[in-house]
Amino acid sequence: MGETAETPASRLEGEALSADEMLALPVFQGCSAALLKKNVGAVVRRSYRPGEILCREGEFGSTAFYLLEGEAEVYIATPMAHLEGRERRRGLFGTMSTFLQSLVRRGKEGGAGGEARLIPIDAPVDLSMDNPVATLRAGELFGEMTCLSFYPRSASVRAQTPLVVLEMLRNVLDILKRGSKTFQEQLLRNYRDRALASHLRSMPLLAGLTEEFVSSLRERVELVSFEPGQVVCKQGDAADRLYLIRIGFVKVSQQSPGGEVILQYLHRGDFFGEMGLLRAGVRTATCTALDHVELVTIGKEDFDRMMREFPDIRAGMEAKARGHAEESARRTEEARAHSVDDFLAQGLMEAQSLLLIDLDRCTRCDDCVRACAASHDGVTRLIRDGLRYENYLVPTSCRSCHDPLCMIGCPVGSIRRRETLEIVIEDWCIGCGLCAKNCPYGNINMHEFEGGAQKAEGKPDKKAITCDLCAELPEPSCVYACPHDAAFRIDPKRFFREGTR
Amino acid sequence: MILDRSHRGWAAATALLLLLSSLSYALYVRATPGGPSGGTAEGIAFGAAASACMLFAALLGVRKRRPHYRLGRISGWLKGHLWLGALSLPLVLFHGGFAMGGPLTRTLMICFLLVFVTGIFGLLLQQFLPRYMTKNVVQETVYEQIDHVREQLLAECVAIAKGGAGAATHAKSAGAIQGRVVTSRAAGAPEGERSEERAPLLRFLDERIRPYFRSDGARREALAEPHRRATLFRELVRMLPPTLHPCCADLEALCGQREQLEMQRRLHLWLHGWLLVHVPLSWTVIALGILHAVLSLSY
Repeated sequence: MGETAETPASRLEGEALSADEMLALPVFQGCSAALLKKNVGAVVRRSYRPGEILCREGEFGSTAFYLLEGEAEVYIATPMAHLEGRERRRGLFGTMSTFLQSLVRRGKEGGAGGEARLIPIDAPVDLSMDNPVATLRAGELFGEMTCLSFYPRSASVRAQTPLVVLEMLRNVLDILKRGSKTFQEQLLRNYRDRALASHLRSMPLLAGLTEEFVSSLRERVELVSFEPGQVVCKQGDAADRLYLIRIGFVKVSQQSPGGEVILQYLHRGDFFGEMGLLRAGVRTATCTALDHVELVTIGKEDFDRMMREFPDIRAGMEAKARGHAEESARRTEEARAHSVDDFLAQGLMEAQSLLLIDLDRCTRCDDCVRACAASHDGVTRLIRDGLRYENYLVPTSCRSCHDPLCMIGCPVGSIRRRETLEIVIEDWCIGCGLCAKNCPYGNINMHEFEGGAQKAEGKPDKKAITCDLCAELPEPSCVYACPHDAAFRIDPKRFFREGTR
Repeated sequence: MILDRSHRGWAAATALLLLLSSLSYALYVRATPGGPSGGTAEGIAFGAAASACMLFAALLGVRKRRPHYRLGRISGWLKGHLWLGALSLPLVLFHGGFAMGGPLTRTLMICFLLVFVTGIFGLLLQQFLPRYMTKNVVQETVYEQIDHVREQLLAECVAIAKGGAGAATHAKSAGAIQGRVVTSRAAGAPEGERSEERAPLLRFLDERIRPYFRSDGARREALAEPHRRATLFRELVRMLPPTLHPCCADLEALCGQREQLEMQRRLHLWLHGWLLVHVPLSWTVIALGILHAVLSLSY
């Protein structure tokens, strides 16, 4: 035992495997025996009976599971619920009221917008929104993001048949990923066989790819890994491939005279690199891994073939690229025009759409809060309390930050920014609370709701809520309903620069 | 609602309507040998116009119950409420020919005038109270949270006075609101401090601070008045060793926060209390107006 790591954090409880036992398993073939000896205790073998739970969504952990034998069911137990804080009214008046509300709503309720059909999770498969359940088989790995980056579990896993798994800490997973060719090949094979098609089709722009084309890509895609802070591609480099994110978060930024401008945070289910391929063949932004990132790459040749064979996809890609180019030009121009000043102290510089309440006009009637609750099924996103800037109150309400830190780490990708400013939290949120912790301004709250599966265990289900700028309405309700014209949403830089409303 | 330039349109329209109705009334008086009365066609027309204005004004309450419906901005409705409500007074006077009439119309008129006066009073308060509150209640909180915050401040006072190390950090508002926290400045008891040295502080806590924080009518307490508070704390400081003087400063600051909460509560009541008279009386006027119309048109 003198060679093993002795710190409690580096050991797991259970049937610890010796280095020899590890090496006897095919998955460890090729790994350094010396390294494995140093990590005895960091991998254990566990057996589960059918129905036993391996892990639950939202829990924090530090291990990954590798299935040796049997099958497991991976699922999201948190209901696909839309938060409501009041009972729906019945009767004639209730029906009329619901009808009237439906008339004034612009888009589809629920926030999904009909775009995402698959929920990205920390496993080789994505889950369907209609029925978020899938099966994991022997030879598959899940919980990589939790293990490598300490994100909450994205889904629950339950044994379907008698199950034997290896549960491992990060150091062992690292050894496997770097040292075991068998493991790497297995990961790639699993991805190519099981995940590639659903991964591609989970992206709305690529949903139209034919089975034939996906099959032709199967043997050509590659998996590449990046460590936190490592640059994936640099602004100005030659563009030679398209990247699909399999694991982790990627920051897309551009250099401008005012400093680095963050354009986007991307996660599993997103892709990048298309602008350089479509345009001058040069990368237009720098993409950096924020945590442990694994990317699937599609080479330029295959990308060009895809563009030739699927004109609709090409049109969609070009429209997206145009949108990104316009947006980055706007951001860069803003960064140039506004130097960092006192706004930084309150984070106002970060905001793109800031709710302000003119306290000299506000009678503290809270009609804004009531209007917010009325627009969101009785659950308010706005709390009329917060920091003051001059005679303005900056209440607790989403600021639509330039750099939306809240979006980093969501294990199921349920918090996202739409094409417009608003940040939405989709109904498949598992309530882990990471976005609420990440928001520097306390503008995301966790709200308990009825009917969750965890209720029986005495732990109330929660979902994250944040201001969505009343996206389905022409104007945020808090602003629209203020009787004293005291509430307004503004671009803070422009507003305070002009010094007048 | 602050009367500013955004009211110009409504003010001009109201002035025009007032001018037209005044001219109409003058012509009506000249053309009616027996003098104006509410029963004539012109009188009924003035009454109907006044009722329409009052009904529109009353609909503001209904509109505010459905704040998210896109039926026009509520601020627009409030402007209409103010200006058409104001216009209804001359129209009512034109309707009755500046006479009060019988007991029902007299009661109606008194109620209407009270509604008018309370409305003007509320409007005047709204011109300066929000600004005053912004300036003088810097540590304002959500009105419904005042009692909660008061309890937190008291807990902090107790922790400071008893010398408990690091009283908890408290969320300023209920619910899982991240980021807005009031961090206790309570320090641990200094080493070597004897318990009797702290006795005056604990006595002050029980005799002065607790009653002040627990009392609803906190204005009557000695600590509510800044000068007396300063005097009391100066006296307390004299009784304590220098190591405990920072505790006194912290306690005095917390009592100052308590005073701000009380001021917020008072100002809030002024800002909204007049509605307790204005709203029920408005509905009384509507009900009596309907009764008056039915009775007048029937007989």
